[in-house]
Amino acid sequence: MAVVLALLPWLGVGIYWNQEIVQTISLALLASGLSLSFGFAGELALGQVAIYAVGAYVSGYLALNVTPDVFVSLLAAVAAALVIGLISGYPGLRLGGWALAMTSFFLVLLVPDLVNIFQQYTNGPIGLVGIPPLTLFGVPLDANQYYLFAVVIGALWFVVFRNLVTSRHGKALLVLRRSPVLASSLGIGVRPLKLKAYALGAVPCGIAGVLTANLNHFVTPANPGPFTITTAIAVLAASVLGGSTSVYGTLAGAAVLQLGPLRLTSFNLYTDAVDGASLIVFGLLLSDGLSGVCTRLLARWARRRGGDGGGPVAEASRQPLTGTLSGATLEIDSVFKRFGGNAALSGVSLTAQPGKVTALIGPNGSGKTTLLNIVSGFYRLDQGRITLDGGSLSGRAPHRVAASGVARTFQTPSIPKGLTVAETVATGRYATTYTGMPTSVFRLPRHWRNERADRDAAARALAVTGISHLGGADAESQPLGIRRLIEVARLVAADPKLVLFDEIASGLDDAEVADLSEVVRELADAGGTVILVEHNFGLVLDVADEIYVLANGAVVASGPPAEIRSHPAVLREYLGVSAEALEAVPGKTTTEPSS
Amino acid sequence: MTTVLAGLSVGAVYALVALGYNIVYTGSGTLNFAHANLMMLGIFLAYWGLVQLNWMIIPVLVTAFAIVALAAVAEERIAIRPVRHIQGQLVTMVGAATLITGIIEIVWGQQALSVPAFFNNAPTHVLGGAVLPDDLVLIGLAVVLTAAIALVSRFTMVGLTALAVSEDRESAQLRGINVRRMQFGVFALSGAIAGVVGPFLGPLTFASYTLPSSLAVIGFVALALGGYGSFVATSAAAFAIGVVQQYISRYLGADYENLVIFAILVIVLMVVPNGLAGVRRERTV
Repeated sequence: MAVVLALLPWLGVGIYWNQEIVQTISLALLASGLSLSFGFAGELALGQVAIYAVGAYVSGYLALNVTPDVFVSLLAAVAAALVIGLISGYPGLRLGGWALAMTSFFLVLLVPDLVNIFQQYTNGPIGLVGIPPLTLFGVPLDANQYYLFAVVIGALWFVVFRNLVTSRHGKALLVLRRSPVLASSLGIGVRPLKLKAYALGAVPCGIAGVLTANLNHFVTPANPGPFTITTAIAVLAASVLGGSTSVYGTLAGAAVLQLGPLRLTSFNLYTDAVDGASLIVFGLLLSDGLSGVCTRLLARWARRRGGDGGGPVAEASRQPLTGTLSGATLEIDSVFKRFGGNAALSGVSLTAQPGKVTALIGPNGSGKTTLLNIVSGFYRLDQGRITLDGGSLSGRAPHRVAASGVARTFQTPSIPKGLTVAETVATGRYATTYTGMPTSVFRLPRHWRNERADRDAAARALAVTGISHLGGADAESQPLGIRRLIEVARLVAADPKLVLFDEIASGLDDAEVADLSEVVRELADAGGTVILVEHNFGLVLDVADEIYVLANGAVVASGPPAEIRSHPAVLREYLGVSAEALEAVPGKTTTEPSS
Repeated sequence: MTTVLAGLSVGAVYALVALGYNIVYTGSGTLNFAHANLMMLGIFLAYWGLVQLNWMIIPVLVTAFAIVALAAVAEERIAIRPVRHIQGQLVTMVGAATLITGIIEIVWGQQALSVPAFFNNAPTHVLGGAVLPDDLVLIGLAVVLTAAIALVSRFTMVGLTALAVSEDRESAQLRGINVRRMQFGVFALSGAIAGVVGPFLGPLTFASYTLPSSLAVIGFVALALGGYGSFVATSAAAFAIGVVQQYISRYLGADYENLVIFAILVIVLMVVPNGLAGVRRERTV
C-alpha cells in the first residue's frame, strides 16, 4: 500500500491530493501516538498536539536559521518530542483517568501562550514564514519528492509501531491496561513501562510536526490552525474510529477523518459537530473501532467458508510437566504486619523448600493472603525478614520480586483484554527472558529467538494444564475455571523458582481440581518451590509435603499432612470437627464454610 | 482592589463551571466534561433571546433553563448512561462537548458575539475598587448558588442520597436508591443552572465557541484544588484562581496566566491528589 501511495504523484495525481495525503499521514502519526497511551497503556493523554507543535517549530526554526537538512530536522524534532514526552508523561505516572486527560488537554491550550513567551524563536502570533524546502544531502526536495519523503517516513514509523505493539512490549502494555497489580506480578515495571509508552508516543508527534511545517512552509499558532483543540479532538476521533489497539485501524481512522466526504465539502464550520458526533457514535457502537469490525467480519467469513474457525475443538487431555525447575528456598522469619490497629500477621515464620509443596491453611482473615502479598512485594512488612535462597526479598518492588523468579496466581483470575489464551500465557515470561524495546522494534535475532522460546514455553504450559485446544481463543471471555487454568499455565510458562498459588481450587469442578493437584505436584517434583494457600482441605492433604496452619496471624501448627489431619489444635480451631468425625469419612473433601 | 474585583468576577465564572462538575459528580460519580459547553449554550441562548428575538429577560431565562437542561439530559441519556467503563466515557463525553460546540458553530457562526448588559455599563465603586454592576451580580450569583447547593447536599434527603451515590454506587443501589434517576436528576439540575446563569455570564465572557475548552480545564483546576464533592472549598478555589490570574496578567503578562495555573494544577495533583479540602480520591488505584 505504501508503494502505491508513494508512486501516486507519478501516476498523475495532482498537488491537492499530495497535500491531503501528507496531512492524513500526519494525523495518523498523531493518532498512533495517542493509541500508545490510550489503547495500550490505558490512559487518555491528549497532549499529542502540543508535541506536534514543538516538532513543527523546531523543524521550522532549524530550516530558517541553521540548516534545512532533512536528517537534522527529523533528529532534532524527535529528540525534542522525546524530552517533552518524558516531562509531560511524568505526571501521568501518578495521575489517571480524568486528571490526566484534563492536564494533557490543558497542555494543548498552552501552545499559543508558549509561542508568545518564546517570541524570539517562534516569531509570536505571526509564526515562522518562508521556511525553505528541506534538503536531502544538500539537494532541495521538490513537491513530489517531499511527498515521497513523507510517505516513506510515515511508513517507517508504522513499521516501528507495528513491531513494537505486536511484540511482548505491546502485550505488556495490554497487561498494564488490565491491572497494574497483575503487571508487576509478572515482572513488568509499571512506572518505567508507562514512561516509555508516553515517551515513545511523543516520537510520531514530533515527526508529524516536521511533515506539517515543511508541507506549507510556514508554522503558525493561529486558530483555526493545526495546533489547536480541534486537532486534538480529531486525533482522538481517528484513534477511536480505527480502534486504538490496532495499527492499520489507526491509519484507516485517520484516512476517514481527513479524506471523508464530510470533511471535503464543508470545511471548517462542521468539523466540530462531525468530530463530536463521531466520537459519541464510535465510542458507543464500536468498542474496538473499524479494526474490530473487520476482525469480526473476517471471522464470520472464515466460519462460513471452512467451518474450521468456529465449531468446538476436541478437548485436549492433560500432559505431564517435563523438564526441571531450579527451585529456591523461601525463608520467612518472624514477620509482623499491621493494618491500622488490626494485626494481620504477628510473628509468622515458615520455610518452603525446593521440590516440596508447602501449604498454608487457616480460616478467612487468618493472614494467608496477606503473607502471600508480602512475599510478592505488594505489602511492606513492618518487622521480620524474607529471603529467597539467602537474598532478601523484603522491601523489594513487586516487579523485582517477580523478576527474581517468583510467580503467583490471584484469588480472582486477572486476565488482560484483547489477547488469546496462548498470548496471555506467554506474558508470564516477560521477566524470564529479556528483550529490550530496540531489539523488538528492529526485530533483531534475539527478538525472534525469545519469541520462539516464549511460544514454545506457552505451548508446553497449555499442554500441562490441559487447555491446548483453547490456545487461539480469546482469553478474557473464558469461564472462571478456564481462566484459573490460564493463570496456572501463565505461571508454569515462567519457569519459576518459587510459585505462590492463592486459592486456585475455588470455583473449579472435581475433575479440574484433580488435574490441578497433579500440576501442583509436578511443579514441586520438577524441583520448584511451591506455596499453596487453599481452603480445599482434601486438595491440601493430597499434594502438600508440609502444612502450616495459621490462625489470627500466627502459626498454630505445622507438620506433614498425616500429623496435621489429626492435630488437635487444627481440628478444634480450624476445621471445627472432632477427630472421629474426620476419620469416619477418609479422603472426603472438607471445605471450610465461607463467610 | 479593582484587580481583586476583576479576579473575583472571572473566578465566579470558574466557580459556576466547578459547581456544575460537583453537582454531577456528587450524584453520579462522573465528571461531566461537557459542562462548560452547556454553559456556553446558555450564553448563546441568552444572545439569541435578548438580541436576535429582542425578548424580555424572564422568557429568555425560562427558555435557557429548559433548553440547556434538556441538552444535559440528552447528553446523559446518549453519551453517558449506555457507557459503563471510564475509558469509554472519556471518549463519549469529549464527543458530547465537541458536538455541543459544533452545533453552536453551525447555528451562530464562529464570531464571538456580545451579550448586552443588564444594567448600564458604568462601573460602580465598591470597597475602593471599580467594578461593573453586572460583575457584582455574577459574583453574588456564584456565592448564593454554591451556598444553596452545599446546604441542600448536607441537610436534605435528596442531597444526602446524592452523596451516598458518589461514595459507593453499588451499596447505594442496595439501599434502595434509584441510582439512574439520581444521575438523570443531577444532569438535569446542572443543565438547568448552566442555562439560567447564561444571561448573567454573557456580558463578561461574550458568546464565544472557543471559550468552553479553557473554562473546562480551569474549572477542573478549581475542582482539583478544592476537592471532588466539596462545594464551598471548590468555589473558594475558583475565586482564588480568578484573582491570581488577574494579578499574573497584570504583573507578568497575559501569556503567563494559564502557564502558572497549569503549574499549580500539576503541583496540586502530584502533592495533594485529594484536593486541599478533599473528601476522597476520584478512584483508588
